[in-house]
Amino acid sequence: MKGVTTVSLMGVGGQGILLAAAIIAETASAEGLRVKASEVHGMAQRGGSVVSTVRFGERVWSPVSRATDVVIATELLEGHRGLRLLGPQGILVCAATTRIAPGSVLRGEEAYPDDLHAAAAARGVRLIAVDAEALAREAGTVRAVNVALLGAASAVFPFTADSWQRGLKAAVPAKILAVNERAFALGRGAVSNEDAQAL
Amino acid sequence: MDRTLFLMGNEAIGYGAVRAGATFACAYPGTPSTEIIETAARLEGIHAEWCVNEKVSLETAVGTSRAGARTIVTMKHVGLNVAADPLLTLTETGVNAGLVIVSADDPGMSSSQNEQDSRNYAKFAKIPMLEPSDSQEAYDFVAEAFALSEEFDTPVLLRSSTKLSHGRGQVVQRAPVEFEAREYVKDITKHLMVPQWARLRNRFVIERLQRLRQRAEESPLNILEAGAADFGIITSGVVYQYAREAFPDAWFLKLGMSHPLPYKKVAELYERVSRVVVIEELDPFIEEQVRMLGLPVIGKEAIPADGELDQDIVFQALEPYVTSTPPQRRLPVFPPAPRLADPPPAADLPVRPPVLCAGCKHRSVFTALKRHKLAAMGDIGCYMLGADPPLNALDSSLCMGASVGVMAGFNEALGRKAAVAVIGDSTFFHSGITPLISAHYNGAEGLVLILDNRTTAMTGHQGNPGSGLRADLTEGPAIDIERMCDGMGIRCVTVDAADYPALKAALKAEIDAPGLSVFVAKAPCALMVREKLGEIVVDEERCNVCGLCLDIGCPAIAPGEDFVSITDGCTGCGLCIEVCHRGALGYAEHEIDR
Repeated sequence: MKGVTTVSLMGVGGQGILLAAAIIAETASAEGLRVKASEVHGMAQRGGSVVSTVRFGERVWSPVSRATDVVIATELLEGHRGLRLLGPQGILVCAATTRIAPGSVLRGEEAYPDDLHAAAAARGVRLIAVDAEALAREAGTVRAVNVALLGAASAVFPFTADSWQRGLKAAVPAKILAVNERAFALGRGAVSNEDAQAL
Repeated sequence: MDRTLFLMGNEAIGYGAVRAGATFACAYPGTPSTEIIETAARLEGIHAEWCVNEKVSLETAVGTSRAGARTIVTMKHVGLNVAADPLLTLTETGVNAGLVIVSADDPGMSSSQNEQDSRNYAKFAKIPMLEPSDSQEAYDFVAEAFALSEEFDTPVLLRSSTKLSHGRGQVVQRAPVEFEAREYVKDITKHLMVPQWARLRNRFVIERLQRLRQRAEESPLNILEAGAADFGIITSGVVYQYAREAFPDAWFLKLGMSHPLPYKKVAELYERVSRVVVIEELDPFIEEQVRMLGLPVIGKEAIPADGELDQDIVFQALEPYVTSTPPQRRLPVFPPAPRLADPPPAADLPVRPPVLCAGCKHRSVFTALKRHKLAAMGDIGCYMLGADPPLNALDSSLCMGASVGVMAGFNEALGRKAAVAVIGDSTFFHSGITPLISAHYNGAEGLVLILDNRTTAMTGHQGNPGSGLRADLTEGPAIDIERMCDGMGIRCVTVDAADYPALKAALKAEIDAPGLSVFVAKAPCALMVREKLGEIVVDEERCNVCGLCLDIGCPAIAPGEDFVSITDGCTGCGLCIEVCHRGALGYAEHEIDR
């Protein structure tokens, strides 16, 4: 593992981006790593694009970075946006079926971007696309898309299952912990070992 | 006719405002500034008001300036602290008709709890500061300030101090300035300071300061006066008079416009003399900037940093320096213009701005309001999102609580109910009550729409005095806005924001009624209740995509070729059903239980 790993979580306000970021931060912390994170609060959360960044390693200075190693996107357009932060060897973990059209698209002023697989391939980015919505529903609530997707992404992180367990417990409120643990497990199981070549 | 008057500095500012074509003046009284408004109040051609505090004064002044009236707002130095919130965003929005803010400092604290130097606010807000030195200049500079304000699209500070405000001198009256009221044009990119627009205006402010500095270099208000001695003095305000009397032979750089500092004029003085002193009351405001240019200067090591000055203090303080300091010449180093951040790259993907939530019942207020041709002065909170297309329902957002004062000023200047205020319950408790009192006291026309969702939604649903919920989640008293208005003698109606027909009718009645009233639209925040009130379905035969339902700006309605469709985010609030003229929208037969 190189010095500092940067993960950007991207989605639409209300999708639980902050919670997913908190789980990663707590998990990295459980691994004994130094962690810094940066989040967006306030008006930007009202259905707008939301980005949270988590950075971990032996020593972390800045809480932000323009160069990202992994993007976890809970929505397809935000996945396209996340691609622009990734270089070759970057990893994009994206909810494969979640499509939330912004107003300009609904009004027909702009086009929703097409094929994410082709766009990722063009940039040399490894795409892990998971139907996180279906997994979240299976776990018990569609609102757990964020954590189901995080489960899918978990395999690419150099963290133990035990650390993830501790991260979930530390970050997720007790009354919704069980459903999120199920969503995480389903997500983690949905990604093959081959896809999960670690960072 | 003898055109010469013998006026107190404050009176001269009042006369100067009338001469400059100002038609509105407001203030909260504060020594040594009070007599400006008292003077304006007895002069013809200008309307003067006492507002309840300096923040409300400035916000009311923003309203009159927007409506096209040249406006002067006055306060004492500590009052500028109270007005700092609107000031620091007003610098971004700029003005329509000129807006001049007089701040009267009180060195020596003849009648104040502290000493503070208002020039720091000019630097902080990146706006011009004019400093007259006697009654004639006080009179003349007001017109200069208005002209600068309009030319540079900026509020202008005019600093007085106790001895200028309460000193008297002759004032030769000048021909009145011809000023025609300016038309108001709605422009949310200039008047509604959400991050998207404020970022652009902030760049404007930084660039404007560079242009203002160039103006300060050329301005006739900044004068280099030749002397016989090898000794130069930089000074401003009434202190100029003390210094002139103490050192009649010195060279002078008299700064009538002290911010931004004209660096080249300072350097020019250094070409003429070998010793320079800065004489100023209170802070080393000019001195620090001269030192920043790398120029040797005598300042606060000699001139007291506290209290008032006079010619004796100045003379005794500087006499030893003038005779003993060895001549020093050095070349100035001018600071380069600041760089601005690179603008973000053009988006090649659809942007996703924040939106007013699907199921927000307060959407009904904007939908009903749009039927009336009124300006809507907004405030700070998630209801700012009502400004975005397709609602386009707001004209303005300045700072917390500003909506009510801006509305009152706007209506005062136009003499009719041309604007309403739109404010959330928590923002109303923050600072919407004082301008309501002020508007009522001054007989303003207006309508204050309080979007009451019983929480502080934007920041994450914190409690407030309307909900009674405290930070530790214990229950405190919940304040009833209607009873509060009742106690003040202000008419207040409360409606259910979820009942669109009733809300629409009540809103029309209040808009048509004369005077000032409060309209409370109640409904809980959609993010807190998260209820599904029913399944809304589209009758694909009846729908002709006329756009009425799309105009409410609900993110859960998507247009299509032949009919609209309802998307996952729908909460079943039913506003779209209400606005549809063709009966094409309705609840599905099997309503989901609440």
